Amino acid sequence: MLKLQRILLLSSLTALLALGLSCKPTPKTDDSVSGETSAAMNKMVFNYLRGTAHKSLDPMKQFDSASADLVANIYDRLFEYHYLKRPYQLSPVLLAEMPTLAEDGLTYNFTLKKGVRFIDDPCFKDGKGRELVSDDIIYSIKRFADANVNMLSYMLVEGSIVGLDEFHAETKKLGKETDYSKLDVPGIKKIDDQKFSITLTRKNPLALLPFAATQLSIVAKEAVEKYMEDFERHPVGTGPFYIKDYSRRGVMVLAKNPNYHGVYPTEGDPGDAEKGLLADAGKQIPFIDEIHLPLIEEPQPAMLKFQKGQIDWIGLDKDNFNKMAYKDEQGFHLNETFSKKFDMYAEMGLVMEYLVFNMKDPLLGKNKALRQAIAYALDTKGYIEKMRNGRGEALTSITPIPIAGSQAQTKTEYYSYNKEMALKKLEEAGYPNGQGLPEIVIEYRSANSATRQDFEFLRNQLATVGITLKPGFQTFSAFLTKIESGNFQMATAGWAADYPDAENFYQLLYGPNASPGPNHSGWANTDYDKLYMDSKYMPNGPERFAIFEKMHKILQDEVPVIITWNPIYFGLYQKWVGNMKRNMMQDAPFKYLKIDTAGKDKGV
Amino acid sequence: MLGYIIRRLLYMIPILLGVAFLVFTLFTTVGEDPVRIALGNHASPEAIADLRAKWGLDQPLHLQFLDFLKQIITFDYGRSFNTGEKLSELFAQGALVSLSLTLPPFLIAVMLNVSMALIVAYYRGSIIDRFATAFFIMAMSISYLVYIIAFQYILAFQFDLFPINGYEHGLRAIPYLVLPGIIIIFVSMGPDVRMYRTVFLDEIKADYVRTARSKGAAEPRVLFKHILKNAMIPILTYTVVAIPFLVLGAFLMERFFSIPGIGDLMINAINTGDFPVLKGLTMYIAIGYSIFNLITDILYAYVDPRVKLT
Repeated sequence: MLKLQRILLLSSLTALLALGLSCKPTPKTDDSVSGETSAAMNKMVFNYLRGTAHKSLDPMKQFDSASADLVANIYDRLFEYHYLKRPYQLSPVLLAEMPTLAEDGLTYNFTLKKGVRFIDDPCFKDGKGRELVSDDIIYSIKRFADANVNMLSYMLVEGSIVGLDEFHAETKKLGKETDYSKLDVPGIKKIDDQKFSITLTRKNPLALLPFAATQLSIVAKEAVEKYMEDFERHPVGTGPFYIKDYSRRGVMVLAKNPNYHGVYPTEGDPGDAEKGLLADAGKQIPFIDEIHLPLIEEPQPAMLKFQKGQIDWIGLDKDNFNKMAYKDEQGFHLNETFSKKFDMYAEMGLVMEYLVFNMKDPLLGKNKALRQAIAYALDTKGYIEKMRNGRGEALTSITPIPIAGSQAQTKTEYYSYNKEMALKKLEEAGYPNGQGLPEIVIEYRSANSATRQDFEFLRNQLATVGITLKPGFQTFSAFLTKIESGNFQMATAGWAADYPDAENFYQLLYGPNASPGPNHSGWANTDYDKLYMDSKYMPNGPERFAIFEKMHKILQDEVPVIITWNPIYFGLYQKWVGNMKRNMMQDAPFKYLKIDTAGKDKGV
Repeated sequence: MLGYIIRRLLYMIPILLGVAFLVFTLFTTVGEDPVRIALGNHASPEAIADLRAKWGLDQPLHLQFLDFLKQIITFDYGRSFNTGEKLSELFAQGALVSLSLTLPPFLIAVMLNVSMALIVAYYRGSIIDRFATAFFIMAMSISYLVYIIAFQYILAFQFDLFPINGYEHGLRAIPYLVLPGIIIIFVSMGPDVRMYRTVFLDEIKADYVRTARSKGAAEPRVLFKHILKNAMIPILTYTVVAIPFLVLGAFLMERFFSIPGIGDLMINAINTGDFPVLKGLTMYIAIGYSIFNLITDILYAYVDPRVKLT
């Protein structure tokens, strides 16, 4: 017994040692701060959860939403999508005004806002953040185009700026020897410290959109050079917040940049003023002193914390939607218990879900009637109602509904569930009632229960007309390999807007974009391709929308993909959160939000 | 004794080589492709090739394996593919966090479960024994996840007795660790008490127990002095070998309670194909398991004079 006691004593000491050692504050690791503690210190603290840990805070090295949410709050871009106005449109952030386009229609002239400063940091002389100048913009664009730095997002500007592709190729050749000062980009010119110009390779109304992407955030050369590999954990920006406590897997704390240059929008959509969304028009932002961002990967604790008031804003997942909300003819509502405590939004996403056919597949690729039969056999509306609690809209064009040129403007029609037509098309395809039709394999990018349920729904639907479906549940990388190598028959797919323009969706079927590009069907149609190029550089309007309709008709007839649905995103926020308007192009617009601290203390 | 330890340490070399080979083969043949996960949907073939080269995944497999062996010897597994963080820092920080979560309830559970098993064994065949058996079988048949969800909902959310989740370093971690600790102890009760009870019942039937009783020894003395001491070998085997796994934390617990330990790190590494993290952790566990096996054998001799280490 004595010996057992000794063993237990030794183990207890080890446990205490583990706790004790974890007391040591270690830089750049988990050094958490509880939201409750700071709230008690009378600060305006916004608590928002991170569902996954970020990958990198180096703007040019990130492409995941967890990183982008943080980068967007630490760094600024030249533009952002206007917080209040819809449809989504650019508004200047670091610029004094929107750039002017020269008479040639190719050169944009930019003027930087005066008095924008980087946050104080030891990388600057005397530790004082210096003023932003044109050189910073040029340096950041070059760094974005440096193939040694950015392996993820260069395609956003590929082919659009004079000399940038050549710069990109040269950096690849030079590797670590790359010296930006020796590599000129003819299309990007400094005029003075406040002014610069960018020359496009061709007239392109979409050319400015990439400059609103977080990957094109403006960084300081001094910070990149000082922190090198650690720059991705030591961001230095001009943004509304800076990192107070870095904790990738704990509570990340952002604090307000007291010298931030931005103001709250003075204009919005009709009805915004009535909702109080313009009450702070023209006031300096941000309003919030600190943002606390705990990493909470599971939905249950996240929702419990939200219900306790320890989280201020949360997305509503399928299971919680069932418990807390419902849909009727008027739309979506919270149950009475919850509507007294929380506010809700339901916003159409800029996402299109679809099914892809491999046009090189000897069965599906060569048999248009068979593809049409499958399209008729799908009950997308039923799927949305039964599998997604009605949280979506069936699409009748490839463009998500909030984007200009979608079904809202073009009035396009598309396949809807029609068993008779499906059987007729099957007969036309040579497989009456599905007789003699081999099993068709559909690939999924995961094997989780939601995916399996989706498959079961689809299988049952197609079985009603005699089409037998078999699942291919893949890991993510195996799925990509299969799709890009053309080793599949059918696959599930989805596309979220890189920028809110219909072109970003029509390019999914453009012939030259075949795998490894986004056109995984491998479909190529000369008429479609020509129409796509005609529409690509056109401004939105009836002429462009008429071209979209023609492209849609080709897609509807050829069916290289089956367009299915547009998800609606739900979220809940506490009643003490102010200025909330869900902007699908700004997932974390903390600089515009505010907290009614008195209301929060009272719990209302 | 020293000769025995050196010999056992030498035996560990082929074992660890085998583990290294198995780990390497498994993750390079059936694991996720980390390059594709990092680059996402529409990476160009050039970007894929560049990143593969940067991470050394374009090298022939035998060279990659040799590099892995070098990492094992130097204990330097480099940086995470996923985040670029140094693995030595990640592991050190994560291991301490995981230990702070798992070690205290482990120790309490050993004491508590051994005591309960002794009591149940003492009352073998009685209503107490039958009730305890039924209760523990029922407790064992409920999923771990159900306990987490139910305890978190009832004790933390409804009754406000504990924080719902979160973690802070040092002693400030204690409030966040109590509820997960209670769940770990509760979940361990069923299998542990039943296992220890069986061990004690085997001993209770032994001749030396009958002899002790016939000499008039009181029942507590028989239980704690004689039976417990003689049951130490299976108890030690069961508990000491579990110690290296404490460093791994409790994955579900870390995930639901937002505790940034090794378990959560490992699961995320599996999901993202973060091979350096997986290699490093698997080897640390293999080494830990081998060492604690050795410690168990040494402890056998310590608690049972009949065992000779030669």
